[in-house]
Amino acid sequence: MSDTPKMIFVNLPVADLARSMAFYEAIGFTNEPRFTDDIAVAMVWSETIFVMILTHDKWKSFTDRPIADRGSSEVSLALALGSKEAVDAMAEAAAKAGGTADINPAQDHGFMYGRDILDPDGHVWGPFWMDPAVANGEAPIPETAA
Amino acid sequence: MPQMIFVNLPVTDLEKSKAFYEAVGATNNPAFTDDTAACMVVAEGSIHVMLLTHAKWATFTSKTIPDAHQAAQVLLCVSADSRDAVDGQVDKAVAAGGKADPTPTQDYGFMYGRSFEDPDGHIWEVMWMDPTAIPAGEPAEAAA
Repeated sequence: MSDTPKMIFVNLPVADLARSMAFYEAIGFTNEPRFTDDIAVAMVWSETIFVMILTHDKWKSFTDRPIADRGSSEVSLALALGSKEAVDAMAEAAAKAGGTADINPAQDHGFMYGRDILDPDGHVWGPFWMDPAVANGEAPIPETAA
Repeated sequence: MPQMIFVNLPVTDLEKSKAFYEAVGATNNPAFTDDTAACMVVAEGSIHVMLLTHAKWATFTSKTIPDAHQAAQVLLCVSADSRDAVDGQVDKAVAAGGKADPTPTQDYGFMYGRSFEDPDGHIWEVMWMDPTAIPAGEPAEAAA
């Protein structure tokens, strides 16, 4: 058991399950039918990273806290991608699939590049690319990062 | 290149939150930590939490920060290796100033989940699932 890599499930409430499923597929997630029904849909990013999109009714079975207004943001979810082009592709796919691209200014620090997008319910995602040498600690973080 | 996620959370007291996340098992990565943000490694190379001061958060988005004690937009769930590990992590959270079980305990035998909230009210669920019990073609109850 201890060999099992740690997994994360990001649970997000959504107004329209089918719309959100299509959105997450469009930006690069894959549906996992074994953990999908008409109230919850598992979307796979990697072997250890999953998004569970939940109807509001299903959400209410887990917490009685109301869903925070979409004008506010409790969390922003950043995904590391392999290239700047992959970041652009995700942002463009999001815009085409019912999301919103570039809710914040794109960040381009040379060694790091990121764009922030919204899903159809207003959840914030931040695809980004970082120079692997900096990410691995083999190169220092350039001064411009601050 | 391994797939990585960085869960960015706004916090009111960076030092307090850093200590809290260390207490529940995360490791600080000093290379990506300063007095406005702290990178906490939950699983090396895959799962990270970035704790951000409200001032730092505001440089990324004009969206306001909801009081996570009162409302929620996300439930973050991480896996654990055993039922005992689930209980152990919740106990550590309580010892470090967090609150236990903001969401109902889920006990289905093959799956066991509890939750805690961090000092700002962000909810984390900790879940163990018997890997041999995951049905091959059947939709299992969602791991939320």
